[in-house]
Amino acid sequence: MGKGGLHLETKESIIKEPIIKLAIAEKFLNLARANSIWPMTFGLACCAIEMMAGAMARFDIARFGAEVFRPSPRQADLMIVNGTVTKKMAPTVVTLYEQMPSPKWVIVMGNCAISGGPFAFKGQYNIIEGIDKLIPVDVYVPGCPPRPEGLLEGLMKLEEKITGTRRFPVPEQRW
Amino acid sequence: MVKEISEKIKESISTVEPVEIPYEQRGYHLAIEATKANIVDVVSFFDKAGLYLEDMCCVDYIDYLEIVYLFNNHNKVCRIKVTLKVDPEKPSAPTISHIYKIARWYEREIHEFFGVLFEGHNFMTYLFLHDQIDFYPLRKKQVPVPEEDKRLLNSFNPEEQEDGFFLNLGPQHPSTHGVLRVVVKMNGEYMLSAEPVLGYLHRMHEKMAENRTYQQFYPNAARMDYLGALNFNLGYVTTVEKLCGIEVPERAQYIRTITAELNRISSHLLWFGAFVADLGGLTPFLYTFDDRENILDILEAVAGSRLTYSYFRFGGLFNDVDDDFVLNVKKFIDRLRSRFSMYERLVTGNVIFINRVKNIGVMDKNYPLKYGCSGPVIRSIGIPFDIRKHEPYAVYDRIDFDVATGTNGDNMDRYLVRIKEMEISLNIIEKALKDLPSGPVKAEKIPKKLKPPKGDIYHTVESPRGELGIYIVSDESDVPYRMRWRVPSYSNLMTFPELAEGSLIADAIATLGSYDLVIPEIDR
Amino acid sequence: MCALDSIIAVVGKEVIRLIAGLIGVLIVVVVNALILTWVERKVSGHMQKRIGPKEVGPYGLIQPIADGLKLLGKELLTPANVDKPLYYLAPVVVFIPVLVSFIVIPFDGFLQVKDINVGILVILAFSSLSVLSILIAGWGSNNKYSLIGATRSVAQNIAYEIPLLLSLLPVVFMANSFSLRDIVEAQREGWFVWRWQFFAFLIYFIAATAETNRTPFDLPEAESELVAGFHTEYSGMRFALFFLAEYTNIFIASAIATTFFLGGYLGPVLPGIVWFFIKTYFLVFVIMWFRWTFPRVRFDQLLNFSWKILIPVAFANLILTGGILKL
Repeated sequence: MGKGGLHLETKESIIKEPIIKLAIAEKFLNLARANSIWPMTFGLACCAIEMMAGAMARFDIARFGAEVFRPSPRQADLMIVNGTVTKKMAPTVVTLYEQMPSPKWVIVMGNCAISGGPFAFKGQYNIIEGIDKLIPVDVYVPGCPPRPEGLLEGLMKLEEKITGTRRFPVPEQRW
Repeated sequence: MVKEISEKIKESISTVEPVEIPYEQRGYHLAIEATKANIVDVVSFFDKAGLYLEDMCCVDYIDYLEIVYLFNNHNKVCRIKVTLKVDPEKPSAPTISHIYKIARWYEREIHEFFGVLFEGHNFMTYLFLHDQIDFYPLRKKQVPVPEEDKRLLNSFNPEEQEDGFFLNLGPQHPSTHGVLRVVVKMNGEYMLSAEPVLGYLHRMHEKMAENRTYQQFYPNAARMDYLGALNFNLGYVTTVEKLCGIEVPERAQYIRTITAELNRISSHLLWFGAFVADLGGLTPFLYTFDDRENILDILEAVAGSRLTYSYFRFGGLFNDVDDDFVLNVKKFIDRLRSRFSMYERLVTGNVIFINRVKNIGVMDKNYPLKYGCSGPVIRSIGIPFDIRKHEPYAVYDRIDFDVATGTNGDNMDRYLVRIKEMEISLNIIEKALKDLPSGPVKAEKIPKKLKPPKGDIYHTVESPRGELGIYIVSDESDVPYRMRWRVPSYSNLMTFPELAEGSLIADAIATLGSYDLVIPEIDR
Repeated sequence: MCALDSIIAVVGKEVIRLIAGLIGVLIVVVVNALILTWVERKVSGHMQKRIGPKEVGPYGLIQPIADGLKLLGKELLTPANVDKPLYYLAPVVVFIPVLVSFIVIPFDGFLQVKDINVGILVILAFSSLSVLSILIAGWGSNNKYSLIGATRSVAQNIAYEIPLLLSLLPVVFMANSFSLRDIVEAQREGWFVWRWQFFAFLIYFIAATAETNRTPFDLPEAESELVAGFHTEYSGMRFALFFLAEYTNIFIASAIATTFFLGGYLGPVLPGIVWFFIKTYFLVFVIMWFRWTFPRVRFDQLLNFSWKILIPVAFANLILTGGILKL
């Protein structure tokens, strides 16, 4: 475990661009991708319970098409990193991220995964202060732990990032 | 019982001098100072006397390292503290893992955090820490790890050392166990050996405790076991109040009990759903989460948080509860009582479920003594050991309730004990609500910077998983000198390798689910 | 018209009919899989006190199309060190038996691609091929979990094919023919499920649930034990093919149950095809109901159940039916 140590360097992306790129095809594909995001079950700590509560009957992430939590990274689109990432766990997180096929996104949920949270104190020796030091992150959902509605809002923001328009648009401010 | 043991040990081992300690002040009855020469004899004496090893930790007083052993009894509380002074330059001590099997892991932990080598222990590898670390974390000064020790710590590599088919269960689990990795050696579908690898969520709580004041450390307690957070809060707050001698008003004690029991019910509900989901039935998971949301609504209205509460304060509560709370709790009790029959029909009476769970993972009567199990795990064997009756705290001595026990110690009994415990908790809440007195909820004149008097204290509470113990050493400053958390899932998990040997892997996973483990509290 | 006549003269009516039938089958398979994924998510949602997909189109009806488009647009990842021929072949092989089985199913009086006179043997023979595809997928993935899932699945499928066959044979005896059309026609006097074959129906249904790897027999994909079983390493459209094949297998199993025991397309007022789909979808709903109610059985309990209980009972039923027919 962790034989090579942690490599905190960015890698070049090796995903080839498609040969033919049609704007209208991209538009439909992005719409389909945004409406059918399959997360990967990857709960590390307390925030995982709030993510599970978000998938349960009261908050029901399935309404947006995201209820199919696939346990294998090969079949998932979205990695929701919940909870503190320790130095022992970090190689696993990076391996799982690299195993996911593109297009893939990362939602980071909870203060610990954003920046170390309550465990980033002077003299800390065991956590990574924020998973965005290791993998690229799309949406940050702060809180300790954030409410399940926070996670749903994060999902809305991710859909907005993919398609360009928000699902439940907030009306223009009128003075 | 304390006097008997004190006399007998003076007879059999002449070099020890047991000192009697007032239990209300310190939480233990006898203190014995042992030396390297007689520690193994002392420990064997306690083993023959029927006591179990409750906890084993180390404290770094800069001139010497002190290893603290705590022994206790399942029938009548009799806590004995044995200390062993070790030289800080080249610390070493004899091992006791051949007498108490749980000491195998306690000694590994002390080795990697303090550098104490235990002679005779054959498996001193990394348990919690990762292999890039080059100092002993919990020492008061930065002491680098010498080369031979590093080699010893890094020597766990089952796939290269042994022949066989190795499978890693975790650290990423589709079920809700959390980040636990178990290296399993398999023969077809049968498990030959299992070795848990921990430390994937080691969040340095004990190091933080030495760098934060008592009030600043308080939120950490809830994040250790996020499912039973109020019970961890209760343990921490009661320990510090005992150390400082703070009196808590009656109303606060009753409300603490009610909210802690509500938290216990919500933790057991989540366990119930997760256990059946492990076995493949996904629907009860959603039903129990729905019930649990009712509890979370009630607690959110008073405590402000859904999962990681910090509701208690030293000397009482954060704020008072209102009539809405009482009304909602009463409605909730009625609603949950009517749901139990539905769960009975859906799960408990299901033939497939019974065949998966009955007579699987049978734990017999010598596991509690060797490992120090607690909670529903020990009650399912038939031993009615419940801290709420054994060493009552809050208002548990004024409320009359049963203790749920099983007969066989198999998965079915652990399941039934927890279901029964939920019903018992409902009864406790009802009785406490009836007797709820009026009055203040905060003690007066609590200093802003709490400076407890010099000394140490050990206090236990019953969390949903078992016996939670907190050992605080204070040196009169506002920052604790050492805080040690004795968590129930640790000693429960360590029975798993022995229990699961030779069983099918599906059964082993069901057994692991029935322990109700929460990994962050093991990793601290 | 002359051109069409000359094409028909050259090629033959049968071939035209076959090609039209195959195109129809492909359409039915794809549409059916889309509908079934939507039905599964809605049914599971309502059983779990929530609504399923709702935002994507009215009542979530566009959700399966979104899923399909997304899977089409996923990167086709090939992990290193896989056995490339086997890895690429498995999703294709899993789909072939499904398509072939559709050829002989009678949807209505004359709506059948080809009425082969050993119809049920064709279906059973090709459904054994699907076991092969699971093994290819599990072995070729170069992954411990896939291998364990694949071996479990092989043992399970072999064990449950025998009761499947034994429970269909009494109906063949009673109808005197292997052809599916004749079996449906023989039920004009009454459905076989009420004419002495109730136990055969139960055995067939349990064996079909096990053959299609559905809970309570879904060990090859046991999520909480083995990550995702034999299709752990498949992504994108390849995974979609496995998914599609699973749902179509459920449809075929229910269609055969309808044809053999519940009267196929026979029924009073509505046209035959409507009755066929009503009965088949009802059985599909029951299979989905099982998934969200029961936990999983353990592997040795699964095999014991088949070898020690189902097969003797199916044999007894067969002998009893033979005896009744003789008298």
